[in-house]
Amino acid sequence: MSGLADLTLGFIPLTDCAPLVVAKSLGLFAQEGLEVSLSREASWATIRDKVTVGALDGAHMLAPMALASGLASDGSGAPMLAPLALNLNGSAITVSLGLAAAMRALDPEGMAAEIITARPLARLVEQRKEHGAPPLIFAVVFPHSMHNYALRYWLAQAGVDPDRDVRLVVTPPPRMVDHLQSGGIDGFCVGAPWNAVAMSEGVGEMLIKASTFWPGGPDKVFGLTQAWAERHPGELRAALRALLRAAAWCDEPGNHAELVALLSRPEHVGAEPEVVARALRQEIVFHRGAAGLPRREHALWFLSQMVRWAQVADDLDLAAVADRVYRPDLFREAALSLGPILGPAQAFEDGAASVPAALFDGVSFDPGDARGYAAGFAISRARA
Amino acid sequence: MRVLVIDPDPARAALVAEGLRGVDPLEVRKAATYDETEVAAFAPDVVVVASDSPDRDTLDSLREISPSSQRAVVMFVDRSEPGLAEQAVRAGVAAYIVDGLSPARVRPILDVAMSRFALIQQLRGDLAKAKADLESRKTVERAKGLLMKERGLDEDGAYRLLRKLAMDRGKPIGSVAADLLAFAGVLKGDAS
Repeated sequence: MSGLADLTLGFIPLTDCAPLVVAKSLGLFAQEGLEVSLSREASWATIRDKVTVGALDGAHMLAPMALASGLASDGSGAPMLAPLALNLNGSAITVSLGLAAAMRALDPEGMAAEIITARPLARLVEQRKEHGAPPLIFAVVFPHSMHNYALRYWLAQAGVDPDRDVRLVVTPPPRMVDHLQSGGIDGFCVGAPWNAVAMSEGVGEMLIKASTFWPGGPDKVFGLTQAWAERHPGELRAALRALLRAAAWCDEPGNHAELVALLSRPEHVGAEPEVVARALRQEIVFHRGAAGLPRREHALWFLSQMVRWAQVADDLDLAAVADRVYRPDLFREAALSLGPILGPAQAFEDGAASVPAALFDGVSFDPGDARGYAAGFAISRARA
Repeated sequence: MRVLVIDPDPARAALVAEGLRGVDPLEVRKAATYDETEVAAFAPDVVVVASDSPDRDTLDSLREISPSSQRAVVMFVDRSEPGLAEQAVRAGVAAYIVDGLSPARVRPILDVAMSRFALIQQLRGDLAKAKADLESRKTVERAKGLLMKERGLDEDGAYRLLRKLAMDRGKPIGSVAADLLAFAGVLKGDAS
């Protein structure tokens, strides 16, 4: 079709790629004047590299990856922008049935609590140390990911040092369940639908969902290079409008059956419809409450965790990175231009009002003092 | 020097491994997936990984310094050569160096991997095209047979009619033949 800009956008087969799949399949990109090809990728590192060199124009991206890309400590990747949050919530921590049973034997109350902390695990780790057993192994999907920071936070909150008391490894999402079953790993933190897959196959027990860990906590973004955004402001705006409309569509309960069918297809997520449906029903928010707004406090929380786990240089200006990468202004401009389609547009105008981060342990986060927050934890690698 | 090739595509992995024997590496090994124990036992100096391997992220994570990592891993990006990184990404290859090998030693390995990846892609493209051509020729033969039977044409006449239909519709002859067979199927009640 003539007159349309051709874009290639990358995604990883996870439930939260939904806005991209929907914008493409329902013709929303085309309505905004874009001819979009979706490219299914096998790894986050490849997403980062392809976006960096321009083999992809933009992509479904781990929010912390967009923040870390282009930093000296990352050493690869171009400076990125995150003008849209693709979803809130969605991941969870799951352990093998054997590990869950061992935790329950030591701390039945802790395992029956409304919010399961890592206290039962801390007791088990102590016991294993006394017996000279090897450290338990937990998997995440990427070092710069909500999954890594959530798992580390959850472990450390109960006194389990994620670097010393257990071993953390990176495992691709589609292999998590197999590795859990084979005993190669004892637990993981991964996005939908893999926790639901582990449960439906009877190999894992989900302990805490992202929506409990941090209700409305951040996860994936739509990421692209700063250079691309500068060269193609019109296309970026059109893409954001299509993705926003898609996100609103995804949240509509009446569309869930169709969404599940779309996502389940082998060229998209390729998982059983029932497991895709479970995470959508219980967890992921795409649009409600200005979910798409890339919030500065989310960026700063991620950066605080990079400081906490010594992933970034000591002198990095966190606020400057947050403001360079997270671009609520681009989001707001696109959202307001859609007007009543998404109503109430007002929600996006006040969307900048910060929402206090409410993590499960009740420790408050002051975005103005991300370094102090990082250094304030009992277990922290931050050099205060 | 020990080189490990991680590639879920066995044919491509074999071709890359074969090509690397011509370069300086002493030992080349290939694996479909990343296995921590096997990798530790082999202790490679360079790991070449296909972008379409999900294990790419596991390798990329080894760049992080952690208390358990004993050897430094970096992604090979030769900045002295502009465009090389882009070329490798587009070819679908990444290379990781363990313990600071010099770019001059890694470069030929990446070059071999990139050229073999391109070769496989071309071979597969040629094969797909050959299959499509063959399929189209078979379809045309069947459509000709149908026209000969239904319209009492000889072979040459049937072909000329197909060619005219294709020209009138501005479509390839294979696609017109396929349409004709599909419609004949419908008329006979195949697609109920």
